Amino acid sequence: MKKASKIFTALMFVFLFAPIAILLLFSFNEARSLSVFSGFSLKWYKELFRDTETLKTVRNTLVLAVCAAGVSTVMGTAAAVGIDRMRSKYLRSAMDMVTNIPMINPDIITGISMMLMFVFASRLFGFANSLSFITLLIAHITFCLPYVILQVLPKLRQMDKSLPEAAMDLGCTPWGAFWKVELPEIMPAIVTGMIMAFTLSLDDFVISYFTTGTGFQTLPIRIYNMTKKTVTPDMYALATLIFFVILALLLLSNLTDSEDSQKLRAARKAKRAASGRPPRDPRKQRILYACGGSLAVVAVAAAVIFAVTETDNKPQVLNVYNWGEYISDGSEGTLDTVKAFEVWYEEEYGRPVQVNYTTFASNEDMYAKLSFDAVSYDVVIPSDYMIARMIEEDMLLPLDFDNIPNYKYIADNFHGLYYDPEDAYSVPYAYGIVGIIYNANEVDEADAGGWDLMWNDKYAGRILQFNNSRDAFGTAMYRAGLDVNTTDRSAWDAALEDLLAQRSVVRSYVQDEVYNMMESGEAAVAAYYAGDYFTMLDAEAENVDLRFYYPEPTNFYIDAMCIPTCCQNKELAEIFINFMLSEEPAIANAEYTWYASPNTLVYENEDYIDEMGEDAMAILYPDWGDFAEKYNAYAYRNLDGELLDYINSLWETLKIN
Amino acid sequence: MDKIIELKNITKSFDGEVVLDNISLDIYDNEFLTLLGPSGCGKTTTLRLIGGFDTPDSGDVLFMGERINDLPPHKRNVNTVFQRYALFPHLNVFENVAFPLRERKTPRDELEQRVNEMLAMVALKGFEHRSVASLSGGQQQRVAIARALVGKPRVLLLDEPLAALDLKLRKDMQQELKNIQKATGITFVFVTHDQEEALSMSDTIVVMSEGRIQQIGSSQDVYNEPKNAFVADFIGESNIVDGVMLRDKVVSFSGHTFECVDGGFGPSEAVDVVVRPEDVDIVAEDAGMLRGVVTSVTFMGVHYEVIVDIGGFKWMIQTTDYVGVDERIGLYIEPDAIHIMKKSEYSGLYGDYASFSNEFDELADAESEAEE
Repeated sequence: MKKASKIFTALMFVFLFAPIAILLLFSFNEARSLSVFSGFSLKWYKELFRDTETLKTVRNTLVLAVCAAGVSTVMGTAAAVGIDRMRSKYLRSAMDMVTNIPMINPDIITGISMMLMFVFASRLFGFANSLSFITLLIAHITFCLPYVILQVLPKLRQMDKSLPEAAMDLGCTPWGAFWKVELPEIMPAIVTGMIMAFTLSLDDFVISYFTTGTGFQTLPIRIYNMTKKTVTPDMYALATLIFFVILALLLLSNLTDSEDSQKLRAARKAKRAASGRPPRDPRKQRILYACGGSLAVVAVAAAVIFAVTETDNKPQVLNVYNWGEYISDGSEGTLDTVKAFEVWYEEEYGRPVQVNYTTFASNEDMYAKLSFDAVSYDVVIPSDYMIARMIEEDMLLPLDFDNIPNYKYIADNFHGLYYDPEDAYSVPYAYGIVGIIYNANEVDEADAGGWDLMWNDKYAGRILQFNNSRDAFGTAMYRAGLDVNTTDRSAWDAALEDLLAQRSVVRSYVQDEVYNMMESGEAAVAAYYAGDYFTMLDAEAENVDLRFYYPEPTNFYIDAMCIPTCCQNKELAEIFINFMLSEEPAIANAEYTWYASPNTLVYENEDYIDEMGEDAMAILYPDWGDFAEKYNAYAYRNLDGELLDYINSLWETLKIN
Repeated sequence: MDKIIELKNITKSFDGEVVLDNISLDIYDNEFLTLLGPSGCGKTTTLRLIGGFDTPDSGDVLFMGERINDLPPHKRNVNTVFQRYALFPHLNVFENVAFPLRERKTPRDELEQRVNEMLAMVALKGFEHRSVASLSGGQQQRVAIARALVGKPRVLLLDEPLAALDLKLRKDMQQELKNIQKATGITFVFVTHDQEEALSMSDTIVVMSEGRIQQIGSSQDVYNEPKNAFVADFIGESNIVDGVMLRDKVVSFSGHTFECVDGGFGPSEAVDVVVRPEDVDIVAEDAGMLRGVVTSVTFMGVHYEVIVDIGGFKWMIQTTDYVGVDERIGLYIEPDAIHIMKKSEYSGLYGDYASFSNEFDELADAESEAEE
């Protein structure tokens, strides 16, 4: 029995701390890979401190957490005192329940309902931007409040009610009694409540996601949006740092509370007494601490308000909404595009501009945020099919190309594409083509070529297939020569048969795990985007030799810069788009993302070609003659809802059987 | 002596339940006054009205002739020692005692001097820097007293301050409190349900029951001349029997006519007769004024407690002479041992030891304390 419980305790610790240990280890990894530890390095920590966008979200998160914790602690304590003093027992238990409800409520419901309320309220009062830092702060205060009350109320109930009476009896006013006797008595609970509120606010994702406005992004949202590629290792470094900071706080708060330190303090006081000096008035000290504490809170609040109002006072604000990790951000010595634009703009126009750069994780996320009409973005960068849908739903504004002279550098291939046939709404930013990645140490060169490799039973158990219906069906339909946008259900049924047949050779159905599995040699064949192949190549393990080829036909996608109807400053947005097309930022972004650029300034640039290397250029920019024709024929388009439902039901069949 | 506090026709109820029913009481300067009664009798509420923590529904509280009904506690020159001491846990001994002085912005030198004097008075010199949580119950009690007295109030209110202490410590503290009261000359208003404590400490005892004052008097008055059956029973042990006053100084009860020292009743008025157990002498059956059978004998240390059945009514007798159970004995009662009371609402409720047992009494005590 004893032995078993020891084993379970050990297991518990393993489960609790193994993830953190691994995180810690890989934050010091020389390489990008999660599968290979190639040597100790502090480079991700250096990276982190160069990543201004991430640091900005860290600052945002901290500012938000401090404000939310501060305000909710004050309000929650006041509320707890109020509830505690209610005469009626019935009323008190009713209040208990009411304050508990938000805690039991799922975050998602709190988030959605708060967003609806903010949107509704701002429509009612006629504000343009219904979601902002203020709404986010209100939401955080709201969900932190019950936790503060939950901490403080029991402590108040426990307290000997004659304590405040004794204070009044000895000459305190009722207020004085509260400050000098009740507050010190319940202080531990208040501090615990504040720490809880702080950590809750710090790691909230769901509610923040729904209630944050343009230009204020928190760290959890940023990390979530990094799924365009894998989460970069500087995030491991950041997570490690946060873990240790919180650990230190925890130790510190335990230390100051422990008896040891009380003894220490008592000993110090005794020494002071022995030396003949009078004892210090601890109440004065406490008042000093209280003053210091409130000053600090006020200072932070003031700084925040200053920072917030400062952005508001700037004449020019540009809100950009892009995929996570989809712009050169100054990391690893690259160009900080956003900052470069700000500097360039001020030089050019003599006025400052502030760019609020926020990110999304999928087209659908972005679409949802925009369609609620609760935010205002000036530039968005969605994918092709989403652009088609947004044009159809009047969510995009036609561009004034007089403001975008650099549009002339966009290659001819990228004109008249299906999603924007008139070239009126969008400026291509990057594109990608699906190819097949394989480990040449395992796969016979002769077998490479075409989609058949993914069905080849020589490599049974070594093949990865997409874990989403559209891409998985795509592989089968390209292979069988079917139209990937067909409305003919029998074509989809046929594709399902092929996928069912393939299942015996598939190791697993994956999305982001593809990076690690291919890099480590855990799998040998996978279809993925050319740009991502280079990311894998960068981190491949020693015994792995990843190669790449395009099967034909295959999927293309294009992401393009657009201006949504909620745009507040269209001309500025167009100037930004134009800037993005100019040589330096365009090359920097292409080099950062590893995706192909439609910009002639990029792919005809000698330095860029040198930097990428001949092989990479051949892969990224295959010479396929009429790109537009192929793209229009083979790229995925928006399918109608009924057909999508049908495809998903087929997909379920595949996944379940 | 001057009246320092006057309560005039005070009524107070909580949630429709009358806790104080038309109470009037004068408290004089420099006296040790005890509010005595069972739990729920209104004694603590009376104290809280004086302290300012509650306000009367009707009636007035006067302090040195001024009406202070609505004066908040911190403006009253009255301090309280709370039942569970209510020491401030975040302050050390010195700071607890210094609290009222700091509240008044007393200069530092004077503050230190007065706190040290107080700590010396309650024998806590050297404990200045101790945390109050590290003190024993008795020591905490002393800190509470020092803290309440350091501001030199005119009146000190003590709400069952000794209830949490063990017997030996309680006796010592009783003596010490009495000494402090004498030394400082401050009026003490002391609340207790312990009649022995009340008797040994008080100048004046106010016996309360069910929100009303039953009797006000010195210790000797309330013990020797209880006004009604409640007081007689609550203070000390009493045999209370129905009697008839035949004429002045002659009373008949339990089938025998006794000489007594009281008078002033109507002819043949029905009365309550009180005889204290220690005032009854046991004699041979033939020589007794009353005769009965011993039903139980309990050894109490100083004396035996003997229960005697006399015509169906059980008497308690405290004696140093041993008698055996089932022995038939006679009782002899001196005239001045007989106290005659007018009939009251309490008549017939107390004074029969038929169901008496020490255990039962203790159980009842424990219950009433738990209720508080």
